[in-house]
Amino acid sequence: MKRLLSAALITIAIVIVAACSAGSSSRAAEPSIDPSALSISANNLVFSTDTLSAPADQPFQIAFDNQEGAPHNVAIYRDSSAAEKVFGEDPFSGPAVVVYDVPALAAGAYFFRCDVHPDMSGELAAG
Amino acid sequence: MSAIKLSRPLGDVDIVLREAIVALTLGTAYIHLTLGGVLFTLNAIGYLVGAVAMVIPLGIAVRYRWLIRIGLAGYAFATIVGWVIDPVFYSTAYLAKGIEVALVTLLVIDFARLDGNPIEVVRREIRSLLVRPQGSASGRA
Repeated sequence: MKRLLSAALITIAIVIVAACSAGSSSRAAEPSIDPSALSISANNLVFSTDTLSAPADQPFQIAFDNQEGAPHNVAIYRDSSAAEKVFGEDPFSGPAVVVYDVPALAAGAYFFRCDVHPDMSGELAAG
Repeated sequence: MSAIKLSRPLGDVDIVLREAIVALTLGTAYIHLTLGGVLFTLNAIGYLVGAVAMVIPLGIAVRYRWLIRIGLAGYAFATIVGWVIDPVFYSTAYLAKGIEVALVTLLVIDFARLDGNPIEVVRREIRSLLVRPQGSASGRA
């Protein structure tokens, strides 16, 4: 049993060391940010705003600043049922800024959220 | 104090298996811990408790290691089901689910190697509860 315990402790130590050394890379800010890009950040599992306004029928950018280690994204859905995603990229850990290139949306109200933490959500108005 | 009797000593394969189970459990615990939020943190704590319970040399843990295996496998399975119900498709989620599938598989193998038929184990435990022997407890690690 002592042998098993010591082996398990070694394993735990290896996993902890590996875990601490992993995921330390951060993504740099994208070089081309449109001055009219929408801006939103995340910290303490909360978005900085629950409303975004975008132009209708033309592509736009969202500069998303994830200020914490927890992975977040800004995914846009047709409505709050989140059944139909109209835009979304993979969540990423911060601190890091990622600029999303969102395709043109028809005028109307959309729903956005963090896919990992669905409580983080808001409304995006295109028009 | 009751004596713990091992039916057979753990072999090298058993130890490697146990190590792998603990490593996978800690791996998925770490991933869930990094996700933030109460639910993920509680999930991580559950996995940490499971990892400790798999190796701690306490009499009651050794005696009921079979139940710990079932509990940890069920916990991992429930986590997988939770993701299937409300999935997030990205690399970390795939990694976590891969770890959990491997964890459940290894727990099933560990159970089969050390405890045998789960139905028989449950029957045996019920019998031992109904006819409580005086003195000693027996179990496998």
